[in-house]
Amino acid sequence: MELAADLPSALPRAPRAATIPPVSDDPSDEELLQRVGAGDRAAFELLYRRYARAVLGLALRRLGDRGRAEDAVQETFASIWRSAASYRPERGPGARWLYAVARNAISDRGRARSEPPAEAPDEPSLEAGPDERAEQSWVAWRVHRALESLREHERRLIELAYWGGLSQSEIADLLGIPLGTVKTRTRAALARLAEALEEQVR
Amino acid sequence: MRRPERPDLRELVGDEGEPEELERLRRVHELIVAAGPPPELSPALAEPPRVGREAFRLRRPRRRLEAVLVLAAGALALMFGIGYYLGAREGGFETEFTVAMRGVGEAAPASASIRVGEVDEEGNWPLLLTVRGLEPLPKGGWYELYLSRKGKPVVSCGTFRTTGEVTEVRLNAPYKLKEFDGWVVTAHLPGGRRTGVVMTT
Repeated sequence: MELAADLPSALPRAPRAATIPPVSDDPSDEELLQRVGAGDRAAFELLYRRYARAVLGLALRRLGDRGRAEDAVQETFASIWRSAASYRPERGPGARWLYAVARNAISDRGRARSEPPAEAPDEPSLEAGPDERAEQSWVAWRVHRALESLREHERRLIELAYWGGLSQSEIADLLGIPLGTVKTRTRAALARLAEALEEQVR
Repeated sequence: MRRPERPDLRELVGDEGEPEELERLRRVHELIVAAGPPPELSPALAEPPRVGREAFRLRRPRRRLEAVLVLAAGALALMFGIGYYLGAREGGFETEFTVAMRGVGEAAPASASIRVGEVDEEGNWPLLLTVRGLEPLPKGGWYELYLSRKGKPVVSCGTFRTTGEVTEVRLNAPYKLKEFDGWVVTAHLPGGRRTGVVMTT
């Protein structure tokens, strides 16, 4: 898949637009992980809200089965609770550490499958190879996490625009706001997403 | 008319602005398209798993106002259709919290989740146990779910058998959960012999 190969691991930096306020004053992933490591249940819940959909998305990609994927989500967060004390911010961003924990928990669940190994196909597969799949998973992880950092109305706009199958005019009608406002807010939401994605790889 | 899956960035944000900013928006647009939609969480995942001793801390009883609200919500749900109402309740089982279990030893590939419903006035905690990948026992054998302390089975919450694939069974815990610190599963083999723990929280 050509698209995956072109995907940037980091977005080009741009000066923060004066009209766009900071994403939020919420604690960073790194702070939350350190608090979870100290047994802070509230921090654990906040981390769950931020990452549950990203973990489920990753699990569904890897396992395919909804039931197993949901188990993997539970196991991932149980594992985060147990091992957060071992997280060291100086070794890398929290998003990447969480991704590694999730990947391991999901792999464990995948190994639990008792299906016989598939036979190697005679023809070269047109599906993405392991490297591409890993890259796609990482991209999805980052984007899904970043979506959680948007305000509710911004996230809804992005989801309607990209996955709701609606035109901007239809979104304006649905939400009862002018078309110009939909475009302005969508642009602001995209800029905020770019900012959140940059934040993850700092 | 439905739009194509990949929205046009120009339609979304127009083409005014500094080239650097437009390029930044284009890149984030590509990332969103590549990522695809995030999945919706099922009711079972609406709350984080209960971890450590938190899993056994009793929730405060529902207050009368909350009960009234629940009744009102039920009436509303009826107005919008029984089917929707039943769908939202996950097959009729309302989950208060969920606890994950993992297999140990030879049962390491197995996993399970215990969905714990709301305790009734008599102190019964309804449980919906979903077990995956736990090998069926020989004829005459069964598994048993126990509340545990420090990994040791203490009181039984019921017995079940498995198919080796997915088994879902309703059980009950008529105990004070806060007096325990986990759940375990043991196997009873034909002839009355009980194995060690095969699954734990």
